[in-house]
Amino acid sequence: MGKTMGWVKRPAPTDDHRARSAHQRAGIVLGVLGLTAVVITLIGNVFAASQLGTDPQGAATVLPWTFGLSTTGLGLLKIGIAVILVGIIVRLWFRVDSVKDALPDLVPEGTEPASPAGADTDAIETDFGSVSVSSSAPEPLPIHRMARTMWLPMLVMGAMALLAGLILSAAASGQPAGSEAARELFAWTQGTAFLGEGLILAGISFLLGTILAGLREGGGEVQEFLGVRVKTLEMPASAKAFVALMMLGLMMVIAQFVLYIVAAGAAGDATASATWAAWLGPFREVALGTILAAIVLALYTISKALGFQFSRIRELLSTGA
Amino acid sequence: MTSLLEKNEVDVDTTPARRTDEFEVVESERSLGRNTPQRVGAKLWAPMLAMAVMAFAVGLGLGIYRSSLIAGGDPAQAATIASLQHVTAGVLFIGFLAVFSAIVFAIARILGEFRAGGGTVQETAGARVQTLKMPKTGRVMLVSMMLGMMLLVAAIIAHFVVAAGVTGAEADLLRSEQWFHALEGVRRIGVAIYLLGIAFGLATIIHVLRFQSVRVRELAAEVAERRG
Repeated sequence: MGKTMGWVKRPAPTDDHRARSAHQRAGIVLGVLGLTAVVITLIGNVFAASQLGTDPQGAATVLPWTFGLSTTGLGLLKIGIAVILVGIIVRLWFRVDSVKDALPDLVPEGTEPASPAGADTDAIETDFGSVSVSSSAPEPLPIHRMARTMWLPMLVMGAMALLAGLILSAAASGQPAGSEAARELFAWTQGTAFLGEGLILAGISFLLGTILAGLREGGGEVQEFLGVRVKTLEMPASAKAFVALMMLGLMMVIAQFVLYIVAAGAAGDATASATWAAWLGPFREVALGTILAAIVLALYTISKALGFQFSRIRELLSTGA
Repeated sequence: MTSLLEKNEVDVDTTPARRTDEFEVVESERSLGRNTPQRVGAKLWAPMLAMAVMAFAVGLGLGIYRSSLIAGGDPAQAATIASLQHVTAGVLFIGFLAVFSAIVFAIARILGEFRAGGGTVQETAGARVQTLKMPKTGRVMLVSMMLGMMLLVAAIIAHFVVAAGVTGAEADLLRSEQWFHALEGVRRIGVAIYLLGIAFGLATIIHVLRFQSVRVRELAAEVAERRG
């Protein structure tokens, strides 16, 4: 029975590391479903555009639901990505168990592991950045504990907000073109749907943080198991920038939701409503873009951590210490 | 196309290796290093990220300016407002194009670490180096990225072309609005295809992790056998 790490159960050492990943399949299926929904909205949008001159009411009926369905489709794609990331976390633990199983046989014959005993030393500089040296595996950082706890609530809240946005978009579709009710409901739709998108992206960011936590913890676990000094990559600047950007993006996503509620309150005045919409649209896109930029930095940090891990394994294979 | 994608960083002779499982690999004496897309990814993720940040900042600025024109309520500004709607969307989606490309490149960089690192670990252990051929999921990631990029670039160019042609005439303003909604649909498809490509890229990482888990245990068995 594997132990639970946050919301993900670590596979037991007896589980089959060769088995195909169910997460991989499920993630791809969700992604294809999301793409299908978005293709449907393209057809809807082209149809609505053609109706604008002759039947504005017809266009006003179609455009809100294509918005709701497309954000739901894009949300499904992102949930699919999140499911695959969970699969990566599980596979990383399989990899840790495999390396623990194999390394003792791979260390050169006749080399005696250095004693793990001794005081923790100051960080040493390597090609990958500062590395701490200790006698045991490091404790998870607070940000890693937070990531492990928060990714699932973020995804669930995001999915609920997307669903609410879809329902609101259907309600907005039934309103007379250009009416106050239509403007009000569409403002609610946009704010809610983008809140959902942002929360799901935040969930993905926390999953990437969980992967970074797994790499750190797994690397420490392997070294401690081998009885050597534990070398751990200290949090690189890219990881700090990732956390800062993700938090900024999340705050912007929440702010756009609140501001859309304010804009919904101004729906009685068509000019005021259009003024709000003109800058809130780009603002909400930039909010998502900020979280996406954070995700880029998280992925870069993962590649850096992997580079360090391979270099450490090579060191162990060459020197045994 | 295939040979370019599979071109290795290190010029080493490779031979196809026969395995009893589903992993398709080549064997060599030394690590092959990164392949072409992985080297490109390692170089381009940062410039793409920088481009995205700049485009998002400009897009937000344009949106705020357009908003101030709408608030002014001057009918003479109708054409500018309609034009700016397209320009703002075009600039923002240059940002999305860049940030999604940066994500795909960063995933390629991760795959490069696995390929080069896995190879050097096998080399250090004194075994024949087995390197995964690019899996189908990896190819789908690249094709999706290219398709998503083409759709977004087409939509962005169309936005700028429409913006340049808007006059204050009623028919022109209507046409501008029609194009905006149609292009919105195209942009969404572009983003969706990019996201699907990212999903396939991450699925490739799962495939690679599975192979590494299997291979490192094989490596131990091979070395134990060699040592008798």
